[in-house]
Amino acid sequence: MIQTRPFEFMTRYTPQREWIEGRGVLLWLAFFFIELGAGIFFVASLFSNLWGMFVGLVVCAVLGGGLHLLYLGHPFRFYLIFLKPQNSWISRGMIFVAVFLVLGIIHLGLSYWASSALGLLIVADIFAFLTVIYGGFAMNFANGIPLWNTALLPVLYVVAGFWGGAEVAMGIVLKTGALATVGASVEGLIRILLIAFVIIIAAYLISVRYGLGAGAISVGQIVRGKWAPLFWIVVVVLGVGVPAGVVIHSVVVGLAATSASLLYLSIILELIGDLGSRYLILKNGFYNPLTPISTVPTAWT
Amino acid sequence: MRWGMVIDLKKCVGCCNCVLTCKAEHYLPPGIFWSRVLISETGKYPLVTKHVLPIRCNHCKEAKCVDACPTGATQQREDGLVWIDPDKCVGCRYCMMACPYQSRVYYDHEWEYFPGQGLTPLEELGRLLYPHQTGTVEKCNFCMERIDEGLAKGLKPGVDREATPACVVNCPTKAMHFGDLDDPYSEISLLIKERKGRQLHDEYGTDPSIYYLD
Repeated sequence: MIQTRPFEFMTRYTPQREWIEGRGVLLWLAFFFIELGAGIFFVASLFSNLWGMFVGLVVCAVLGGGLHLLYLGHPFRFYLIFLKPQNSWISRGMIFVAVFLVLGIIHLGLSYWASSALGLLIVADIFAFLTVIYGGFAMNFANGIPLWNTALLPVLYVVAGFWGGAEVAMGIVLKTGALATVGASVEGLIRILLIAFVIIIAAYLISVRYGLGAGAISVGQIVRGKWAPLFWIVVVVLGVGVPAGVVIHSVVVGLAATSASLLYLSIILELIGDLGSRYLILKNGFYNPLTPISTVPTAWT
Repeated sequence: MRWGMVIDLKKCVGCCNCVLTCKAEHYLPPGIFWSRVLISETGKYPLVTKHVLPIRCNHCKEAKCVDACPTGATQQREDGLVWIDPDKCVGCRYCMMACPYQSRVYYDHEWEYFPGQGLTPLEELGRLLYPHQTGTVEKCNFCMERIDEGLAKGLKPGVDREATPACVVNCPTKAMHFGDLDDPYSEISLLIKERKGRQLHDEYGTDPSIYYLD
């Protein structure tokens, strides 16, 4: 599938490379951490967990923002990115992130040193939601890549971002000893998001698979092709199966009786699975060829 | 006015002279191509068809890259030309994702044509006359310097060599034509009309300014 000769470029189904290979790996991680951080903040805010909100802001700003900057060809010109929100999803996204971080920090400071302001928190949560969703819309804009150009992608990223946020919030709840007070609520949210993730990722892959051209190639590569081991083992079994098993276990024996190490394992594997699914979606973003092509080998679809 | 190009695939022999001309005209560094000639085959022996397709930026009327660019580095002029201001480009490469034709290229670091042996005189001249910024995205600009200088001299792009993109001027089989798409009597408009010119992947709704004649 790798096309190295200039005259063969885009004569077959061609994957995008700039956002996943070389320094593109930084962007993959940046999108993950930005959405995860906003998700943690959002979920923690529902339970007024200041530690969770703090962790969310740090993950979003330091890891997400930092990696975004490192990826850029000219990081010192980053301020120019805020200039075109009327057209560009990247510009909108950076504005969402910046406003979310500023409001989140102000809210955290007020909550710690004075009293929390509910109105401010609601606005911060709205921007946290927009931060989680913008990556999906940014990718959805690329209409040459059928795997990305679907309305289900932003939905998938929202669910994945909040699920990851809820899992990390559970970890913080465990660490801060607040399991008895808010543990059940966080676990309830995790159950809903897990079910939603399974339904949406299945619907997403099926809808793209039965679309035209490059979409079928992308899904074929993920489900049956070169990347199938990563999808089935890391995303499905470890990223969804194990957390689902832990959820079922906690339903049967009760959350209080579920061991903390099992919950931590579920959190780590869910995050690895989320990273894996995002990698697959970026890696398998195929463009349609520009010249007529022969029949595609069945192994690709 | 909207500048456009017509490429006659019946006349194109796939010599890649347009690719080399473009590299020379813009002093393009190693590995950077603003234009390409794609070659593919379909069918099975003995019924094989060879497809030759010269491509470059389509300067789409509804350019996805212009909307995608978060900084305003990718801009569209009134005459339809899409160009990149390297001083505004941050190298996020979102425009590359948005371009369904993959006509853009990222210049990540400086290369020498003969690594470890220093720059050739041509490369040194290129860095003076046509510097390329690393960490930015580049693409074909329809030789807008030639067009602008030609217009300033009262010349007509597509008719006068000096005011016409270098690839069009240097095509040995005269497979390429350049002109104003908005003028119904321009050479390219008449060719498109007479020979039913087609755009590349018109289903994307980008309305490319390059038409192909089969």
